[in-house]
Amino acid sequence: MSAEKNKVKTPKKKQNFGVYMKRYWQLYAMLALPLIYLFVFKYLPMVYVQIAFKKYSIVQSVWKLPLAKNHGFEYFIKAFGNNDFRYALRNTLTLNLLDLFFGFPAPIIFALILNELCFQRYKKVVQTITYMPHFLSWVIIYSLALQLLTPETGFINMLIEALGGTSVPFLNEPTHWIGSYIAFGIWQNFGWGSIIYLAAISGINPELYEAAAVDGAGRFRKMWHITLPGIRPTIVVLLIMNLGNILGGGFDRPFAFQNNLVMKVADVIATYVYRVGIKGLQFSLTTAVGLFQSVVGVFFLLMANWLSRKLGERGIW
Amino acid sequence: MKKRILSMLLAGSMVISLAACGGSGSTTTAPAAETPAAETPAAETPAAEPKAEEPKAEEPAAAEEPAAEATGELTDGKFAETRKITVEVYDRGNDGGSDPENNMYTEFIKKGMLEQHNVEVTFKKVPRWTEVDDINNLLASGQAPDICVTYSYPTILTYADMGGVIDLAPLLDQYKSELPNLWAWLGDENIYWDKDPKTGTVWAVEGRRFEQQRIVTFVRQDWLDKLGLQAPTTTQEFEDMLVAFRDNADTLLGADAKKMVPFSISKDVGWRASNIITSFMDPAISDKDYYINGFDDRMVTEPQTKEAVRLLNKWYNDGLMRKNFSLAPDDTEEDDMIKAGYVGAFQHNWDMPFRNGDDSYNANLARNVGPEAKFVAIDPFTNSDGKHAKWLYSTAGDRKSFFPITNQEPLASLLYLDFISQPDVIKYLQIGDEGVTHDVLDSGAIQIKAAEGEAIQNSGKNIDMTITCNGAYYGDANLAALSLSYGYSGIDPELVDKASKIAMTDGLTPKNVNVGSIEAEAGVGDTLSAKRDQAYDQAVEASAADFDKVWDAAIADYLSSGGQAIMDERAAKWAEYFGDATMLP
Repeated sequence: MSAEKNKVKTPKKKQNFGVYMKRYWQLYAMLALPLIYLFVFKYLPMVYVQIAFKKYSIVQSVWKLPLAKNHGFEYFIKAFGNNDFRYALRNTLTLNLLDLFFGFPAPIIFALILNELCFQRYKKVVQTITYMPHFLSWVIIYSLALQLLTPETGFINMLIEALGGTSVPFLNEPTHWIGSYIAFGIWQNFGWGSIIYLAAISGINPELYEAAAVDGAGRFRKMWHITLPGIRPTIVVLLIMNLGNILGGGFDRPFAFQNNLVMKVADVIATYVYRVGIKGLQFSLTTAVGLFQSVVGVFFLLMANWLSRKLGERGIW
Repeated sequence: MKKRILSMLLAGSMVISLAACGGSGSTTTAPAAETPAAETPAAETPAAEPKAEEPKAEEPAAAEEPAAEATGELTDGKFAETRKITVEVYDRGNDGGSDPENNMYTEFIKKGMLEQHNVEVTFKKVPRWTEVDDINNLLASGQAPDICVTYSYPTILTYADMGGVIDLAPLLDQYKSELPNLWAWLGDENIYWDKDPKTGTVWAVEGRRFEQQRIVTFVRQDWLDKLGLQAPTTTQEFEDMLVAFRDNADTLLGADAKKMVPFSISKDVGWRASNIITSFMDPAISDKDYYINGFDDRMVTEPQTKEAVRLLNKWYNDGLMRKNFSLAPDDTEEDDMIKAGYVGAFQHNWDMPFRNGDDSYNANLARNVGPEAKFVAIDPFTNSDGKHAKWLYSTAGDRKSFFPITNQEPLASLLYLDFISQPDVIKYLQIGDEGVTHDVLDSGAIQIKAAEGEAIQNSGKNIDMTITCNGAYYGDANLAALSLSYGYSGIDPELVDKASKIAMTDGLTPKNVNVGSIEAEAGVGDTLSAKRDQAYDQAVEASAADFDKVWDAAIADYLSSGGQAIMDERAAKWAEYFGDATMLP
């Protein structure tokens, strides 16, 4: 679409533009809706980023709020002096990195495996079943986790005990909790995440495989030399987007999984902002945290993009 | 052709959404342009903050103008022209409840307010369990009800600090003669409960609590009988009883023996073990120490609390308590366990097993286990003086009513508070119509019965409607005392009576230490309650060897997250107002 747009911006004659628009205006009409959505819900709210630098009041217009102390940086200083924020920052980074490390390759590997299956119907069934968890909310997944993993009453722990082992504190001991958290994250998302890779794989020219077969390449050779390079651009784009989100991440998952015994490793920025900002009414403080989070996110995004272009990939722009 | 129509539609919707966007754009800017008008009062209120004298002179002056007008406006308590106000009401989302905004009781209020004061009342429901968040949104969007209610005073203070709340002090004085019922019912104590000692501001009026009973321990009478035990009267006997429950699970639960929970608890340990924790507190605690440690109503920083938790930790590791209680996201699972009959004892609100009519704990037990199964109140926990000390609710310090700055009808709103403080009105709201929601017994006592449809009270005794009164009052203290035991449909009055008596035994009434607002308390309430629960939960579930380490670390975390700052500021304020004294004058 952006390519089209560029075309419009450089019309050779004014008339051309008119003719062009006459022919394609319907497309632009359709494009307008998502643009309006983006503008209203993503750009307009940015006006209120200034709350981070001001002493917020619920009744005054944001433009008239007085500047916070320390040239407006009072809340940033406060946030970084706060233990909970530092924990939340650390946990966000740790959990997201672990997610990236274990969770990012999972759908790729799964897509590769799925692609090698010859029974089409079986493949379809497997695919459908694996992406179903994506539609479950985290609250539901947590209650499933409770039923399965609670010591003494959870199904898996009862199984372990019946087999003569000792029950494992999957949800109530910090290290185990991290493992469960990451595992459930992968479980929920790998099927769904593989769809885009499968689509990319199906776009690979079958002649390549045929040529490779003629050259005597086996399955693994084909995977390594054709399939993987074929989906490399997709992998890179997704990796960049994931890196941009390294300080972000959803709210529902950590919020649903948290409990009082593991808060030290489970409190992330999103839940911290919810608790302190929305429940504790410290809007300026948490806007500052949110702004920091976004700035770091943009930094990672730019860096990953730059790196991927350096390495000869396309990047996202 | 079809394509054309479709694209026309799309384009049309785009134009509309553009227009709508422009509209919303102009509304977002409009408040900015309009606010100066609405802001003038807001601009005044911050002036009340600095402790200087001058704003004081300014404030009443500003308030006097409408007052002079308004008193002229009222003839026999009625406005010449109909005024309109909106009032917050909690929506508890009860299964099969009545519409919180339109039911028999709201109609009664609407009719009465129109007749007595020519004020049209509209109710606005706010979900009970997210009230603070919701009121917050409503305030921010300028749509808050004219009369807001909350249990959380720090929340009101935060709004007031932003200039979002009307100072009631001048209004209450000015219109005193128009508000006889309000002043008679609440008295100076409740009305001035939150008066700032320096600036004289009153951001909220405290409702009056008519029942002070708070937390009681309950035990399964039928289990005691089956094992031939007496109700425990000391902490040790209580423990022995739990051990007996645990060891006789087969007798008590048969095939379900594995589900036995001798003592149940939730992740809110500070509440659900309150009687135990209070029994460890130094009976000679000074007002000063209590105040300094008093920000947390679960006593987490009280020095002796650690030993109470150590006892709980021992019970937990001995298999006497509900396992992994901290993993449950809410209380539904525990409710089900109690109702199914797996739980031997617990502590909770003094009337917990009697609440909710047909769905009460005791009604469920009778259905699921047998007619003899029921929870009864006991009083086992003794402190070092041999007393059964328990904290009560104070008579004030309950729900707080406040008027947001968007309230254009402060007088009409005050008249509303006056209206619902009339004894007759409280009585009707609490007990409804005879034959429908209550019967009158021969003794004259009121027996509450289960109502249907419009007449269903969404909260016990309609406390959500009677925002200036919490607890059975029935318009007459004697009648209330006589009827207390009959307040729960389907429940043996003796059980209620016993629980109520035990709840009051050796009760400690909290005192109001009014030293103005403590700055360190702003905005940290939720963080600290979360930390407090973490401290309790982690320590109770720790292994015995780790107990000290876990508790000390959690408390250190609590203190460094703002707990210590609050205690320090409270100590400084105490010194400022009371000097070296350790007790309140």
